[in-house]
Amino acid sequence: MSEHTLINEHPDFAKAQVIVAGVDVGAVSSKSVILLDGQPCAVSQVKTRMPEESASRAINEALAKTNFKLENIHYIVGTGCGRTQVPFAHRTITEIPCDAAGAVHIWGPSVRTVLDIGGQSCRVIHCTGKGRATAFLWNDKCAAGIGRSMEVFANLVKKEVTEMGNIALQSDKFPKLSDFCSVYAQSEFFDLIRSKASKEQAIAAYHYAMAKRIATLAARSGVKQDFVIIGGLARNPGITDWVEKILEVRRLAPKPEWDPALITALGAALFADTFYRRQQSDVSKKPEESQCA
Amino acid sequence: MNIGKILAGIDAGHVATKAVIMRGRELLGYCTVPTGFDVVDAAQAALNSALKNTGISGNELGRIVATGIFKEIIKVPSLNVTKTVPEYVADATGAFFLNKNSRTVIDIGGNIHKAVSYDQDGTLLDVIQNDKCADGLGIFYTNMANALGLSEEEMSELALKSTKNLSIAIQCSLSAESDAIDLMCQGADIADVAGAVSRFIVERVADMCTYMPLTKDIVVIGGLAKSRAIVNHLPDLTKKEVSVLKLPEYVGAIGAAISDGGEK
Amino acid sequence: MMNNGSETIIERFRSITENTHEYAKSLQGKGKMLAGYMCTHVPEEILYAAGIIPVRVLSSHVSQAMTRSYIHETYCSFSHDCAYQGLQHNYDYLDLIVTSSSCIHMAEAFNVWVRFAGFQHKSYLMSFPHIIHSKPASGFMKESFEEFRQFIEKFSKKTITDDDIERAIKVYNHTRRLLQQLWEFLRRDNSPITGPEVATVTLASQLMDKEEYNQMLEQLIQRLENNPGKAPSGVRLMVTGGACDDLRIFDLVENLNYRASLIFIDSCTAARYFWFEVPEDRSDKLEAIAEGYISRIPCPSKDTVPGTGEKKRFRFIQQFIQDFKPDGIVFLCQRFCSPQSMDIVALKPILDKLGIPWTELELDTTVPVTLFGTQLEAFVETITGVAP
Repeated sequence: MSEHTLINEHPDFAKAQVIVAGVDVGAVSSKSVILLDGQPCAVSQVKTRMPEESASRAINEALAKTNFKLENIHYIVGTGCGRTQVPFAHRTITEIPCDAAGAVHIWGPSVRTVLDIGGQSCRVIHCTGKGRATAFLWNDKCAAGIGRSMEVFANLVKKEVTEMGNIALQSDKFPKLSDFCSVYAQSEFFDLIRSKASKEQAIAAYHYAMAKRIATLAARSGVKQDFVIIGGLARNPGITDWVEKILEVRRLAPKPEWDPALITALGAALFADTFYRRQQSDVSKKPEESQCA
Repeated sequence: MNIGKILAGIDAGHVATKAVIMRGRELLGYCTVPTGFDVVDAAQAALNSALKNTGISGNELGRIVATGIFKEIIKVPSLNVTKTVPEYVADATGAFFLNKNSRTVIDIGGNIHKAVSYDQDGTLLDVIQNDKCADGLGIFYTNMANALGLSEEEMSELALKSTKNLSIAIQCSLSAESDAIDLMCQGADIADVAGAVSRFIVERVADMCTYMPLTKDIVVIGGLAKSRAIVNHLPDLTKKEVSVLKLPEYVGAIGAAISDGGEK
Repeated sequence: MMNNGSETIIERFRSITENTHEYAKSLQGKGKMLAGYMCTHVPEEILYAAGIIPVRVLSSHVSQAMTRSYIHETYCSFSHDCAYQGLQHNYDYLDLIVTSSSCIHMAEAFNVWVRFAGFQHKSYLMSFPHIIHSKPASGFMKESFEEFRQFIEKFSKKTITDDDIERAIKVYNHTRRLLQQLWEFLRRDNSPITGPEVATVTLASQLMDKEEYNQMLEQLIQRLENNPGKAPSGVRLMVTGGACDDLRIFDLVENLNYRASLIFIDSCTAARYFWFEVPEDRSDKLEAIAEGYISRIPCPSKDTVPGTGEKKRFRFIQQFIQDFKPDGIVFLCQRFCSPQSMDIVALKPILDKLGIPWTELELDTTVPVTLFGTQLEAFVETITGVAP
């Protein structure tokens, strides 16, 4: 799993007022982002097995990079498909508002469409400049598991998942695979082997089919600029380049300091930050509250 | 001293390439290698590994017969494949050779599953294969094991411990995977999810079997035959007893090796 | 809390939806003949007039693959399930199976029953026009209904008089009026009955003897009028789709992490089934039934006005939106159903213009609780925003 070094490398928790975290338990990987006074101080990304232990693994891996413990975190928001299995979350929110909040935080108020290509599902989210999600479209069953299938495919062609995108882009002529059904695409891939197509062409063909399917989902929802792509598969230039080409819309450039798979967890952490601060200000606002327990 | 010919069979399947070395009726060596994209590489590697522990060198090899979906691709000079046989012939030949009482073989492979019936002389009677939407059962099984963080053996054993019948979509492996992952995210018991995965495979295989009247004495082969959970549930739906041949994923390669001229 | 027995009546209805065969056989025990029907376009009044109780064939929600040998993979799961139940002999006790020509998937399920499940000599396929909003449609239906009447007379060895039909029409209209009264409760901001409960009670109507049903429903409505509201409604959600007979989905809508209320269902297992009346006391009874059925909220498979391509159903939907005031609409789209998916393509821009948010769930045999739950919660989050 890739990691990025973020700004605050030596988080000093003793001086921090607000320590929050977002934990995104996805079907394929679980991510967490810890914010110290609104600034990212540690992140993590682990493979999901069972959701509850994966959530713990994710937060613990991030905490290991800090000098504080789970108990020191003031507010935790859980998100992702496994969000109901995060026992230490104070609150759960679905990926949709988190994607919007995270994307606008990173790319700014011009963002209007967020395409989140995850391991098991993908979604298109429409949002305001303030990062509020207003509408979304979730993939149907036939378009499930795109991210995960890329890992499987990489195994099949004995390449690293991280190389795949660049290899795909090397070919501009390649056969066409079914883009409406993964089961058919898989069978057609075997035909490619039999037809003695090159490995590079096969990889390109697969990427194009997956990009087409993702772009179709986005097009059904409509893509308004500014447009960003997040989620694990946003790391794959073979997918992102072709999605852009098919949609005829350019996305905003990715941010090198942010792994796009972490944006949802970041959004969750931002909500945690807002909620905790609101809680604190509500408490301090309460008039003549008795000091006794 | 056994003066039988040294024969080799290579079954180049969608997911795995299997090689066997035989002398007459005797199985001397075997090996399986993931097929991947370079089928010739895989076939070479499987053959070399199968030969390794037998003490036999490549030059002593008599015929090499190829089967499997990629049999034509591995007919390259470096491999010296002398002939190919269709998979259903290899399956039936191998099954009948290993169990003379069998009359039907069900092969549950990585991408395709099929069934072949034959008579008391091993003569082929009928063949059926899955429809396209039911492709990829073996691949699905492997993917699910990965998703659950288990080996395939672990998943099979765990499926036997399932106490609750969870329902997953039956249309195709993609929709089944979607539902199985959904169950996992709900925190469902991993044994029950494993059970659902096995039952899905059994349902699809049993459905294929309805196209052909099943005989008694059915044997099951192919990679998925190694799963006890699958083999145990198959009789519930096919309403017939089944048994698993030893080294089930090698039966095709064995059948290829001994086909047409090999020791019966 | 006083609920003066309304819960018990609702429980009884729920129990019938979960034990359909037991209930149906009890009717036979009382000497009634039973006719199963696979599509709500079958004019039940004609069966009822002959003393035959129509009961709808609904999904058993079993995940099975054996029907793939009979019906193509890409036919909807509802048709596969209905075919499966026939092949499993779950419905052998029926005296007759009837369907009307509506969609090809259900037609294949019907064929499986006739050819492979032993219903060869106790089946009837009724011709029904596809373009019901056209001049010839009414005449076509009248003729078709007349043929059906003659078949039923022969089958049941009973003459069906005009009086018999009129009586049946009145019983059925009574059911329709009662159901409309029931659904009116959901208009309230603080309803004494929840949407899922209303859906359960409505589904039961398709499985029961209407006279018995009417008695129970009258009682229920009386009690509900005296009941306090259960709770103020949360985010008000309306569902629209095909044959949504999986009550677990409706339960899910009201068991989210947020408060949401199911306030209307446009499907043939709900509003489309009863939101109309057959004109009473007409001299030509079959013509009256035809007129009534033409005035129904159309099924997506039958809703096209020739020439303009207008969808009459959308007018109804707009009216329901006005009357029931949903905050959002959930499409429950049966996977592989072509008419529904084409319908939705046309409906979405209208909802966008009305400013009503929508989301789309894909129905199948199984209910992916996490997927649906997440999507519904996300829908509520986009409607209300995420508050601390």
